[in-house]
Amino acid sequence: MNHKLKKHLYITACVAPAIILFTLFMIIPTINVFRISLYKWGGFSNTKTFVGFDNYRTLFKDINFYGSFQNSILMIVLITIPTIALALLFAGILSRYKFRGQNFFRIVFYIPNILSIVVIAAIFSAIYDPSMGILNSLIGVFKGGKAAQILWLGDQKIVIFSIVIALVWQAIGYYMVMYMASMAGVPESLYESAGLDGANEITMFFQITLPLIWTNIRTTLTFFIISTINLSFLLVKILTNGGPDGATEVFLSYMYKQAYTNSSYGYGMAIGVVVFVFSFALAAIVNLVTKREPLEF
Amino acid sequence: MKKALSVILAVSMVSSMLVGCGNTAETNTEKTAKEETAKGDTAEEQVLKVAAFEGGYGADMWAEVCKAFEASHEGVKIELQIDKKIEDVISPSMKAGEYPDVIHLATGREAALTETLTKENGLEPLTDVLDMTVPGEDVKVKDKIVPGFVDTLATNPYGDGVTYYAPMFYSPCGLFYNAGLLKEKGWEVPTTWDGMWELGEKAKAEGIALFTYPTTGYFDAFMFALISSAGGSETFDKAMSYDDGIWESADLTKVFDICGKLAAFTESTTVANANDQNFTKNQQLILDNKAIFCPNGTWLPGEMKDAPRADGFEWGFTALPAVNNGGAGSSFCWFEQMWIPAAAENKDMAKEFIAYMYSDEAAAIFAKSNAVQPIAGVSENLEGDNKMFYSVYDNGATAVMGGFQATAPVEGVSMKDTLFGTVDSVVSGDKTVADWQKAVEEVSDKLRDAVQ
Repeated sequence: MNHKLKKHLYITACVAPAIILFTLFMIIPTINVFRISLYKWGGFSNTKTFVGFDNYRTLFKDINFYGSFQNSILMIVLITIPTIALALLFAGILSRYKFRGQNFFRIVFYIPNILSIVVIAAIFSAIYDPSMGILNSLIGVFKGGKAAQILWLGDQKIVIFSIVIALVWQAIGYYMVMYMASMAGVPESLYESAGLDGANEITMFFQITLPLIWTNIRTTLTFFIISTINLSFLLVKILTNGGPDGATEVFLSYMYKQAYTNSSYGYGMAIGVVVFVFSFALAAIVNLVTKREPLEF
Repeated sequence: MKKALSVILAVSMVSSMLVGCGNTAETNTEKTAKEETAKGDTAEEQVLKVAAFEGGYGADMWAEVCKAFEASHEGVKIELQIDKKIEDVISPSMKAGEYPDVIHLATGREAALTETLTKENGLEPLTDVLDMTVPGEDVKVKDKIVPGFVDTLATNPYGDGVTYYAPMFYSPCGLFYNAGLLKEKGWEVPTTWDGMWELGEKAKAEGIALFTYPTTGYFDAFMFALISSAGGSETFDKAMSYDDGIWESADLTKVFDICGKLAAFTESTTVANANDQNFTKNQQLILDNKAIFCPNGTWLPGEMKDAPRADGFEWGFTALPAVNNGGAGSSFCWFEQMWIPAAAENKDMAKEFIAYMYSDEAAAIFAKSNAVQPIAGVSENLEGDNKMFYSVYDNGATAVMGGFQATAPVEGVSMKDTLFGTVDSVVSGDKTVADWQKAVEEVSDKLRDAVQ
């Protein structure tokens, strides 16, 4: 056996497990989703009827699907912007300054991220409770006892923002830790020389910190898209189940409803395909738009 | 040396994975071989796979009834699967082609397993079970079941007279209230909707809302009873089978109007809590004297048994007031269903099991957990609150039974979401009753074309 062949064999043996598992659990199911989306099928019987692109035609006329799509996009935007801003702010403060209780804050911010989404739903349903919830009680303190109750989970104009707040709260810690990790790699000398040149903290943040951790921020933007799509489904499922009257339906919860409750598995898979294509495309666009020359330090 | 070690490690990683797969296969064959020998030893032993939904009545009664069946049927072994989310437990193996022989799971659940199998024609007809003799007795099944229970779309989902679901534990649905509060205030339980609105105004003056509901899902029993009261059983059947224009007919307009008016009398926080996470907070409103009526089924007192309550609280239960002047009130009779998948292996024994469900022996076991079978005479032995709940039909209310006719799945169209889910929007003022009614008729039009 010559050296090259040995090397090839070695590499093959190393990557084979990962490739087999990846094919088995990722590629084949994904292909199946695409395939089943072309069928009319309830999910159980052997009577799958091939309907071509019928499911997609119905989908593009389905007003409820558009509603859930809008909600999902709104959530991606509304969750990403404040989370990035707050996570960067907290990460900047916690990594640049030394003050008492620094570790305490680090832990407190990170805790929501290790909580199960079920616990988060329970916490927020208590916070949003119309009569005994902390939020309405606080508002009552400032506005006097006769303030009108705000139905955080009942008012169709507000409820989507209530979900957004919960998701922002749970996401901040995770991204903060990621930004802190890359901020720790920024050499202190850059700040020192900027300080000598008379730059204040805000200038330093925007001129030094932000450009130097830009690659990291770009990566997290993709994470935002994926995690918002997934977590919004989980939280909505537990907290409101898409209600009241579809006001918080996101596209994955709509997919679930169609695939199972409405016995239209094929149609559900068509929604899955659209979500798949959408998230891929969005991630690609975001990646393209945020592309900068990487800065070396 | 280092390289050799890496190669060994990599190879062992790959092989361990393959061995892992191989092992399972081996165990499976071993298992089948063992099973076969077991079968050989006791040639007649038959395994009956029963899957049951664990509802409010608990799991013990199922274990007990299966044991009793095994005792009365020699050579039969029951493999019982029971879970609060039984569809999650059984559907993976069902997708792989392994079906339980008998399934006790009602329609109307979120995963809609029963509906999906119905829509896909995956059920075994049970009409011959009705002609079977109840095991251990000399009565036919159909003669033991209370008349009317196997004549509706709730047991004959395709509307063709063929029974596919066996009716199991039933529960009258109606309005629950605090009888103590009404007594204290000197208010009567209204028998007409006009009386209802009067009571609503009186209660409003005292800061009590007339109405609340756990989630919009509970409007099925509520609206079905109203529809029947408004237009009789014929209108009800037409509505359930998506008759053209029925949802915009004069009778059903009355139903929508009542719901619309009731929306104005609904407790203000109801919509915010009308979800799976918080619905008990709405039920709590009744216990706290913040709302008077709440539509529900007889499981409500059990569900709220540990909840705090106002002094002098006493459960009250009434049928829905009559829609037409001089008409009868009505109460929807909800029941759970048992069925056999068409792909089941042991259909004959499964049918025997269903027939056994109507034996006095089985009914007595179920009754211990307050689960009431639709067998003549069973409800007479009830005690306490339960006696009051089940006597609702003795007091002149019409029993309404049934449900929507099965259709082929229609993508993106859900009668449940449109007819019941919209109630939240009507209460919060986001949609008008007229829009709601129009949307329901549109959905009905779409589903009519898909009736099987």
